[in-house]
Amino acid sequence: MALASPLVSALSVEANEFPELSQRHGVQSVPRTVVNGARAFVGAMPEARFLAAVLELARPAEPPA
Amino acid sequence: MAILNQQLKEQLKRRFSERLRDPVQLTLYTRPGSGRLILPGGLGCATCGDARELADDLAAAAPEQVRLEVVDVSERTELERPVPSLTLGATNGEADQDGGRLGWQGLPAGYEFATVVDAIERVSRSEHGLAEATLDALSELTEPVDLMVFATPT
Repeated sequence: MALASPLVSALSVEANEFPELSQRHGVQSVPRTVVNGARAFVGAMPEARFLAAVLELARPAEPPA
Repeated sequence: MAILNQQLKEQLKRRFSERLRDPVQLTLYTRPGSGRLILPGGLGCATCGDARELADDLAAAAPEQVRLEVVDVSERTELERPVPSLTLGATNGEADQDGGRLGWQGLPAGYEFATVVDAIERVSRSEHGLAEATLDALSELTEPVDLMVFATPT
């Protein structure tokens, strides 16, 4: 996705080497994908599902009604 | 002991000779010689030496196409990069924009090394391998999307 869009950046983090960063992002199992430093999902999945998960989590949270 | 044995280095060389097209830029951020030190900011970089060796092996497998820059962050104190970090970009004039958008933090060992090799090939050939539907969705993005994928070297 980072290759296809200039708006996407992708960083793979070796979780064991950066325990504080992993703890900050609640890493308990891998792969864990953190979107925009905040929301996250766990697991490897097919492209379409991965994209849907990323787009869903990248969407700004709606303010409470 | 070398991380990649001679047989793997030969395989990598053959593979790159078949699959690389345009040059790519690899940048390794490292802090050499700090592996066993306890520094004011914490422990030294235990895997920087191995990361340098892997990066050197990648560049040596296709010296015409894989251009490696090694940045010593201990000499560039303005850089706040975790080490080791490896970034990958094209060198077709867009390097400044692409450099750093695709990267690895920590030693890319095990299956992660395969992702580095695959990404080098994809960048070199400008082939993302994504479905049309994915490209359509990405083309509608209006805000940056920053992905961090936590993995372990298994």
